[in-house]
Amino acid sequence: MDSQFLVSLVMILATFGLYIGIAFYNMARQTSDFYVAGRNVPAVFNGMAIGADWMSAASFIGMAGTVMLLGYDGLAYIMGWTGGYLLLTFLLAPQLRKSGRYTVPEFIGDRYNSSTARLIAAVATIIISFTYSIGQLSGSGVVIGRLLEVPTAVGTIIGVVLIAFYSALGGMKGITWTQVAQYLVLIIAYLIPVIFMSLQLTSNPLPWLSYGQIVGELQQLDQQLGVSEYVVPFTEATKWQFLALMFTLMAGTAGLPHVIVRFYTVSTMKAARWSGAWALLFIGLLYLSAPAYAAFSRFILMTQVAGSSIADLPAWTASWVNTGSLSVADTNGDGILQWEEIVISNDIVVMATPEIANLGVFVIGLMAAGAMAAALSTAGGLMIAISAALSQDIYYRSINPKATERQRLLVGRSSIIIATVAAGIVALDPPGAITQIVAWAFALASGTFFPALILGVWWRRANGPGVIAGMLVGLTVTLAYIFAAKFGGFTILGIIDTGAGVFGATAAILTIIIVSLVTKPPSKETQEEVLDLRYPEGMTYKDGEVWRTDPVKANRPEH
Amino acid sequence: MRKIDKKQADAYFRARTTLVTIYLLIGFSASFGVVMFAEQLSGFKVNGMPFHYFMGAQGAVLTFIILLFVNAIINDRIDKKFGLDQDLKDKE
Repeated sequence: MDSQFLVSLVMILATFGLYIGIAFYNMARQTSDFYVAGRNVPAVFNGMAIGADWMSAASFIGMAGTVMLLGYDGLAYIMGWTGGYLLLTFLLAPQLRKSGRYTVPEFIGDRYNSSTARLIAAVATIIISFTYSIGQLSGSGVVIGRLLEVPTAVGTIIGVVLIAFYSALGGMKGITWTQVAQYLVLIIAYLIPVIFMSLQLTSNPLPWLSYGQIVGELQQLDQQLGVSEYVVPFTEATKWQFLALMFTLMAGTAGLPHVIVRFYTVSTMKAARWSGAWALLFIGLLYLSAPAYAAFSRFILMTQVAGSSIADLPAWTASWVNTGSLSVADTNGDGILQWEEIVISNDIVVMATPEIANLGVFVIGLMAAGAMAAALSTAGGLMIAISAALSQDIYYRSINPKATERQRLLVGRSSIIIATVAAGIVALDPPGAITQIVAWAFALASGTFFPALILGVWWRRANGPGVIAGMLVGLTVTLAYIFAAKFGGFTILGIIDTGAGVFGATAAILTIIIVSLVTKPPSKETQEEVLDLRYPEGMTYKDGEVWRTDPVKANRPEH
Repeated sequence: MRKIDKKQADAYFRARTTLVTIYLLIGFSASFGVVMFAEQLSGFKVNGMPFHYFMGAQGAVLTFIILLFVNAIINDRIDKKFGLDQDLKDKE
């Protein structure tokens, strides 16, 4: 047990102690008048909470590494995951908020007046959340594996135990101040290494302004080595793949249910808009730093690690080689490690960089704490989504309507454990990099929820049979394309598995439109409800007339 | 609850829809548009990077953030114009 292990462990425990402390402090105050009076969390802090909810292991651990290894082509992740907020804020959030339905299966079931549609949406929620959580577990495996210097798979098993425990505690979700603290830990952990690296390499403390210079130097280094250049577009995949991936991530973001809920927890429409804007600003802070991270890491690896004698590699390489995610074999046997001989996994770049740049035990410990917060908080939320879909939408609504609260709770709890273990088994030998696995979850969301929600709020003619057929077709097409592209080598226009959402969404939208048009239009009631969504909260549409209502009095549950 | 002129309510809907269309067009040009013409747009540098790279790494994200804030500000004004200002109502 070295000092790094102890420092990292203490930082992880201290930050988790902080989150739990805040949660208990708030719970204790919940009964007091002060808490009720202060229920409206200011938009800035709600924005931070959305940011913490949103940023998972894929953003924190995976993204910078993906940008580093893919060069320009990796930027699809940066634009896709931020651009999704445009679709969400402009096309869905106000309407879904007004509809007053809190989960996606609930909205789809009521809007399309179909319990079958609701059931399909619940199954899709489970598939999407399950896929997403594989990425989170594989992320926690990277962190724990490095911490204990054990293979990543062993780290994943420990992660499974932690996540099952964390989710059983309720995941500490919905407690805004806990999430604000989580965001702060996460962003500080992410920014400190980039700022230090920026100072080391360019003597400028602002990485966002300084890494352009490094990108220029990388261009020259690549030309000297004759490897594919960092900034040249579409070297790893086609332009169509870039566009398809970006669309998939944007549409998937708009269709992922767990962020939308956050827009409900504020009492006014105005506060929801501002929360969304602040959220993207806080998320953007990390996303704008990831390419800087990528450029600095690549530069340090190319100039300070590549070219050194194989017998004299820095100490950090040994610990990462032990996890199985780094290979520094001297393949041509000249005793010197060349750039081409470094094989580094996307997933370890962020975690390894503080060590590569020699930033000291505290920074490395802080990174571990930030990464664990990102992975565990998102995984906790996903497990709760799975258990809610299983116990409420499937078990209670469809299988056993007479179930007691106790029975439902039991189904919910056991589904968390089964889902975590099952996801953990898949994550033992991850089928892809973290960003890639998470991209599949987004592809599935864009093939199912995105079409159902967009048409549901914007087209009143969309009906139950349409959405049932559409979601099934979207799900099938997306899944089939992911498997065919990943394992069968089948591609259209060079679009690989991560861009599958573009086909799923197109197929689903067409199916919903065609099937809706050839079947009976929805009831007048449903159509009126959809028309009502056009108008802001505070206006109600009824029988061709618009009424002014008091939106402040609308009942919103406390989260 | 009181009845209001449907024309006024529809005017609100139209104003919102027009603005949303404009925002999305700007947002998509900054992302999809630039990617479409990435090769042609790599000739000059912004912030030390070729333009297409700058837009992917920084430009598009900044555009999205600005759009959301502009939307929040403008929509607050529209709400005020249509008498939907919720903060004012709270104080009444």
